[in-house]
Amino acid sequence: MSTLEDLGLRCSVVPVLRFRVERLYELLKREPRELSDILFRLKCESEESEGYLEVEVNADRPDMFMGEGLARAVKGILGAEVGWLKPKVVDSGFKLIVEDVPTRPYIVAAVVYNVNIDSNYYLEELIQFQEKLHEGLGRRRRKAAIGLHDADKIPGRTLRYAMAPVDVVFKPLGYTNPVEAREVLERDVKGVEYGWIARLGDLHPFIFSDDEIITMPPVLNSDITRLEVGTRSIFIDVTSTDLQVAEAVLNILVSNLAERPGAYVGAVDVIAPWGGVYPRLEPKTIKLMSGDVNRVLGTSLNVIELEGILKRMRYNVRVEGETLEVEVPPYRVDVEGVVDVAEDVAIAIGYEELNPTLWQPGMRGGYHELSRLSRSVRLILVGLGFTEVMRLTLTSPQLLEVLGLREEALEVLNPVQVEYSVLRPAMVASLLNLLTENRHSPKPVKVFEIGPIVAKVGGEIVEDERVGLAVMDDEVSYEDIQAPVYYMLKALGVNFAVKPSVTPYTINGRTGEIVVGGVKLGILGEVRPEVLERLKLEYPVAVAEISLGKLLESLKELGRE
Amino acid sequence: MLRVLVSLIVSEIVVSEGEYRLLRLMAEKGFSRGSLGDASRLLGVDRSSLASLFMLLRDKGVVRVQEEVRILCSLTDRGLYALSRGLPEEVLVDYLSSKGGTASVAEVAGALGDYASIALGQARKKGLIEIMGGSVRLVRDPLVARGIIRPLRDALEACYKLGSMEPDLFRELKERGLTEEVKERELVVELVEDPASLLERVRVEASRLTSRMLKDGSWRMYRFRAYNVDAEPPRVQAARLHFLQEFIEVVRDVMKELGFKEVRGPIVELELFNFDMLFQAQDHPAREIHDSLWVKAEPPDVVKLYGDLVERVARVHEAGWRYKWNPAIASKLMLRSQTTAVSARTLTLKPRPPIRFFTLGRVYRHDVVDASHLPEFHQLDGIEGDYSYSFRNLLGTLREICGRLGLEVKFKPGYFPFTEPSVEGYVRLPNGRWLELFGAGLLRPEVLEMAGVDYPVGAWGFGIERLAAAYYGISDIRVLYTGDVEYIRGFRVKV
Repeated sequence: MSTLEDLGLRCSVVPVLRFRVERLYELLKREPRELSDILFRLKCESEESEGYLEVEVNADRPDMFMGEGLARAVKGILGAEVGWLKPKVVDSGFKLIVEDVPTRPYIVAAVVYNVNIDSNYYLEELIQFQEKLHEGLGRRRRKAAIGLHDADKIPGRTLRYAMAPVDVVFKPLGYTNPVEAREVLERDVKGVEYGWIARLGDLHPFIFSDDEIITMPPVLNSDITRLEVGTRSIFIDVTSTDLQVAEAVLNILVSNLAERPGAYVGAVDVIAPWGGVYPRLEPKTIKLMSGDVNRVLGTSLNVIELEGILKRMRYNVRVEGETLEVEVPPYRVDVEGVVDVAEDVAIAIGYEELNPTLWQPGMRGGYHELSRLSRSVRLILVGLGFTEVMRLTLTSPQLLEVLGLREEALEVLNPVQVEYSVLRPAMVASLLNLLTENRHSPKPVKVFEIGPIVAKVGGEIVEDERVGLAVMDDEVSYEDIQAPVYYMLKALGVNFAVKPSVTPYTINGRTGEIVVGGVKLGILGEVRPEVLERLKLEYPVAVAEISLGKLLESLKELGRE
Repeated sequence: MLRVLVSLIVSEIVVSEGEYRLLRLMAEKGFSRGSLGDASRLLGVDRSSLASLFMLLRDKGVVRVQEEVRILCSLTDRGLYALSRGLPEEVLVDYLSSKGGTASVAEVAGALGDYASIALGQARKKGLIEIMGGSVRLVRDPLVARGIIRPLRDALEACYKLGSMEPDLFRELKERGLTEEVKERELVVELVEDPASLLERVRVEASRLTSRMLKDGSWRMYRFRAYNVDAEPPRVQAARLHFLQEFIEVVRDVMKELGFKEVRGPIVELELFNFDMLFQAQDHPAREIHDSLWVKAEPPDVVKLYGDLVERVARVHEAGWRYKWNPAIASKLMLRSQTTAVSARTLTLKPRPPIRFFTLGRVYRHDVVDASHLPEFHQLDGIEGDYSYSFRNLLGTLREICGRLGLEVKFKPGYFPFTEPSVEGYVRLPNGRWLELFGAGLLRPEVLEMAGVDYPVGAWGFGIERLAAAYYGISDIRVLYTGDVEYIRGFRVKV
């Protein structure tokens, strides 16, 4: 499990790419084990498995989702290949007429000649590339989707992107017979998963070539333009809800496919109000001073050093005095400004080689006041013979029902398990739940927990830090919980009073409310036998629960007097 | 001279309370030697208690105990009869004396009954009477006659009272069936020295030193019994602090010692702070229901609550992501998925640099509970920054934090939506394996702009539970939240 999951950043769940060992050798003339260190420096963790190198490529480097892209980065950082050369672009002769597609207005396209799908491994990698782009930048095809076609199989030079009724018939990729598009949308796995994205009533977008459907984006292609081993040239279409994303995706695809030996690009004329000739492989230029990078990294690199470093990261660089004009290759969609360039500089140098320096601003640290109070309370309670326990705040509604606390609990809208579908509004819930696991422990069982609760109080959501105590024994009385609570409060210097009170889970007449300066601090009492019975606890229990938040307030009040 | 030396070498003797009391009694009553029976009568203690005590004293060399086989006499029934009525010859002498010294055999038979023939036989043997022609005549003076019988009579009494008598007399009584021999094994005890001086050397063994002994000084006469120190003690019911919380406090301490101030934030958090402020696009898959937990509550209006902030957030998002930013999405309430939300909140307060803050709290995840996943766990988040703060400083701080936790760290470039440059940290566990521990980086300019902060800030976060589990050598993360109190109580302390 990666750290990123730890950080709740499932968004950037690191995509895992599988590269055939033979392919990597072909591209880099290196064995997998020689590559893992270099890849590590390029943000990638890798592991060899059954003839493949499994590489974790971060979501910010979609250009590395394919062998050629990976190799380009590796060759750069090793200094074997520097800068970036724009591939040769010719006019492909294709025209793409864009009609009104409200649900997915944008489309761009390009051809790459001499890609030469020479093996199943390459084809496999191509499909993997497409899928990972779909997941990431494409936002699971909702934002962008890619169609890859055997260019030589496209019926005509003029293509049309338009909505059409779903009863139109075509032979989808992998089908033996033509079917209605409607059937694909309703029966095909891909149709069900992606059909709803661009569908508008009984209409769906298609790309036509001489009245033949070559693709139904973002769902699937037709069989006409099927890719296979032997395909020479590839026609790429990218449909999208965002033109900039479409362009970026096209650039990444074209740049990687054009890395194949002898490959070059065919431009497509996209005829639309916003249209033009694609691909637009124009590099972005970022002007910066060496000081800009040095400020971010804490380094002192001069312009010449920076030039060399940036070229290894495949930037083209023009130095003018103290200024660097950094040309960002079009497949680097993640580079926007100075900080992105600075990161690449740091990567090239190597983070360990940056020689971290200890920043010592001479500041005085401190605990949060609740943490300090909690520490004191913990030590007092362990001294009173109570063992500390820790439980989740997520708990089950059934348990709260038994305690009469269901109404105050905040519910989770999308819980994974019903046992963790509400938040505890009181510590006593966790304590009683824990005691049911300790029926056979040596008695008395004396436990406490300090932690947060969340409750609904008069329409408001209230969070509080609480301490809860419980005593379970063959015989338990109010005094068994009263004595330690009193001791603790007195030790903390609290001026408190206790008055009779009521809770849904303690015995009436055997429940007290702790009050300080008119404010209710907490409760203590013997648990009701009917509650114990429902919990199948055959030993009596006494509990107490005090708000540390309120306790802190009252201690502060005391301090002010 | 020699005697004096010997008495110096002689050591003290340690006895039990019972033995001591016996010695005291013997000193009081002046008993140094005698039979068990004598001792029992004299000291008023029952024989069996005395026997065990004397045996203990013998083992300590205080008393010599010998078994004497004593032959005692015991009166038979006839002997008892003779004792009460008188010996037959005694009765005859008394009768004849009352008859003037003479009576007929028939008269004697009539008066003595079953005693008659024995009486006549014994009296004649002893030369007390003469029997002629059917009449019996006393030939001695009655007083003298009784005097002759007396020793035997005394012997009979002695037999009755003391159980011992002269051997000759015993033989005669035995022949006459009045007494029988009884072998008695009797212990004879003898103190090795006189009781008073013995008492001076004797010390009582006690099991406990008590307050009374200290108060009255009697502790001096006691010696304390040795314990079997090898034996297991009774089970003790100890209370313990929780091992996970202890680990959390260690981490807290490290941060405080480095000069970080602890801050806290709400568990139920707005998407504004959990996602939007961290430049997470609103249409990003991460914000769908698969990863985080949302709560059933009325969303507040963030525009009302955080007007200025919301304005900046909208502006930055729209420039960066090229969409229309929606405040309703930012207003949704969820259970925070990262403590970076707290760091975000802290930055919006625009603290004056240099800054160093940390937070340590619970975060929530849409995860099924299994050996390496929990729906809820603790995260540490830290931020620091100043006008001249750099990426090298961040790496330095991270190395220092890990170092203070006893961990060697290895850096790898990484990617997070809200930092650039970004770094991932791997730490080496005690078993040699590397564990991916934290993510960190300099907050992106977009994030700083949203917060309204104009100096670079480094940020990092890591999950506590995985590190704690590795630290304690626990392979199943659920154990950290065990309900088994005995497990917590018995947890091995890590020094």
